[in-house]
Amino acid sequence: MAIAIDIQSVTRAYGPIKALDGIDLAIKAGEFFTLLGSSGCGKSTLLKLIGGFDRPTKGRILFEGRDVIDVPANKRPVNTVFQNLALFPHMTVAENIGYGLKLRGLSGAALKAKVEDALDLVELPGFGPRGIAMMSGGQRQRVALARALVMEPGILLLDEPLTGLDERLRQQMRDEFGRLHRRTGATFILVTHNQDEALSLSDRMAIMHQGRIEQLDVPAQFFARPANSFVAGFVGIDTLLKPERIEQHSDGLRAVIGGQSLRLRSPMGSLGDDSLVAIRPDRLRISESLDGADLVLTVVGTTFRGLQTDVHLAFADGQSLVAVVSSDSPSATLAHGARVPLSLLPDAAMLLSGLGMPPAA
Amino acid sequence: MVAEAAQRLSANAEIRDLSSKPAARLAAGTVNRTSPMNRRPFALLAPPLLAILLLGAVPLVLVLVWSFWTWDPATYWIKPDMSLAGYSAILDAGRWTVIVSTLLKAAGTATLCVFLAFPIAYVVQFLSGPRLQALLLALITIPFFTSYLIRSFSWRLVLGRTGIVNTMLQHIGLTQAPVDWLLFSNFAVVVGLVASYLPFAVFPLVLAFRRVPPDLIAAAQDLGAGFWRAVATILLPLTFSGIFAGFLFVFVMTAGSSTEVQMLGGAGASIVSVMINDVMRVANYPLAFAISTVVLAVIFTLVLVGNVTFKLSSLFAEEDR
Repeated sequence: MAIAIDIQSVTRAYGPIKALDGIDLAIKAGEFFTLLGSSGCGKSTLLKLIGGFDRPTKGRILFEGRDVIDVPANKRPVNTVFQNLALFPHMTVAENIGYGLKLRGLSGAALKAKVEDALDLVELPGFGPRGIAMMSGGQRQRVALARALVMEPGILLLDEPLTGLDERLRQQMRDEFGRLHRRTGATFILVTHNQDEALSLSDRMAIMHQGRIEQLDVPAQFFARPANSFVAGFVGIDTLLKPERIEQHSDGLRAVIGGQSLRLRSPMGSLGDDSLVAIRPDRLRISESLDGADLVLTVVGTTFRGLQTDVHLAFADGQSLVAVVSSDSPSATLAHGARVPLSLLPDAAMLLSGLGMPPAA
Repeated sequence: MVAEAAQRLSANAEIRDLSSKPAARLAAGTVNRTSPMNRRPFALLAPPLLAILLLGAVPLVLVLVWSFWTWDPATYWIKPDMSLAGYSAILDAGRWTVIVSTLLKAAGTATLCVFLAFPIAYVVQFLSGPRLQALLLALITIPFFTSYLIRSFSWRLVLGRTGIVNTMLQHIGLTQAPVDWLLFSNFAVVVGLVASYLPFAVFPLVLAFRRVPPDLIAAAQDLGAGFWRAVATILLPLTFSGIFAGFLFVFVMTAGSSTEVQMLGGAGASIVSVMINDVMRVANYPLAFAISTVVLAVIFTLVLVGNVTFKLSSLFAEEDR
């Protein structure tokens, strides 16, 4: 039932502006796939093309090997949970869910049974006769999900479905998506700008930027091997430092920053002059003594974040990085100007191509 | 404890009586209806309310009252009475056929306007960027910039025997002689009326469309509906208040129109406003007011029924999504 999608060099241009610029993407049948990116990156445009609400300027879109560009939205085996849900306000919950089934010719007891099954699936049994206005935000979310899933689509598109929900509900619905994905086995495609959603749900994900895919991989790889500095920044590796120079040593590459040298993990592919050193905050440790420290930096401030505290540390040239420490550790109360020894765990620092560069080959 | 609470309650009751002290009443939890903040809406509304009363309600009551007076054809004099003579005169002289044909013409024109306005509103609201939207809305208001008289007269130039349409038809060889029924006919009247009053149907519909998120159409299509099905099951029910408001506006304006009928209608064409005018010429005010009352009654009934059935007020309600 699940459908594989093959997107082949798809471009969607609005006049001179390319919302999508030569996208190649193969999504496996039954996969939970996420398109991650900030607004305007083209992720919603791509979703519209898959849903059949728009046509690509160039390129092909195949479902199970069949070109679907000329198939209109109402004839595609795709259903969508829209960003603002798009529930029909003049219909009850049951009428909303039954809308598509009715168009398929279902009626009477068969229709009722399917609608009730769908309500059970999203854990809203007995809510059928209610008006949409009487449902809470989270319940509406579930109705929208039920309305799409009751059609038993081969592909379910989720267009930023969690925006506008509070954090607790967001968490709850996120778990719900995972459960429904396992339950239905359909290909799920989620569009979001929220990396937590993407990381916790996806089998694979793509980070998009300016109409291109910057990196396409399983979530863990975005941290282990970010394709470039944009991707690193997007997944929360915020520290990007400009090296004075890169040196080739016997034990590998080293970057010199503010007069100090630090070991780099070997980069992927070739890098230009605009390369940056990304530092993973989770792989930094504040050491006890200066002996054997990889770096010695100066404290320029601390930010209390509840359980954890960010310690801002500066190099001699003014560039700074953040070390995350437990709020009850002595490091959390380091004075401004203190000299702090740091040790770097393996792969803490990596060399990445600069912002907006095409992904490394 | 209980005694203390009871004491406090009775104290509150006393405070409530001291209505001259707003703070005390606030503390006692009563609604502060006469505070300056709450009085302001009424102060602001007073001038328009007075205008509506003096210029709207009072004349209407006079129309109703005078419609029961009697008219002496010998002296052209009217005197107070409780007579139904005016109303029976409507039935006697076949004047009711003019009323009926007016209402039918108004209903027909209004229906036509709504049919034309619906796709216009769709294009304006769903298919236009902000700039095109502003341009289209400005174009739609153009009929307001010329007088009804001039506009009706210009239709004569278009539809007449030597008008643009007939010249074109003959030029491309569709007809040999000028088509006569284009002007001084019901056709010409309806053309003139539609051209004049179409904006009154477009604006309520645009207002109604504005309250429909465009995603709803996409959602219907996503669930398997073709375009027309989506329009019929989603757009139509959600814009019904606008459709009815547009119908009503055009209906009311058309029922009261006279210029278009006089300028473009045939020799036998008559309409209520013209008939009322004729009756007024002989100072038969009771009959004129009886006719007015009947037409007003029909329109008021329509408004009332429409408001209950289609919730016209929802057109102006706050968005609830």
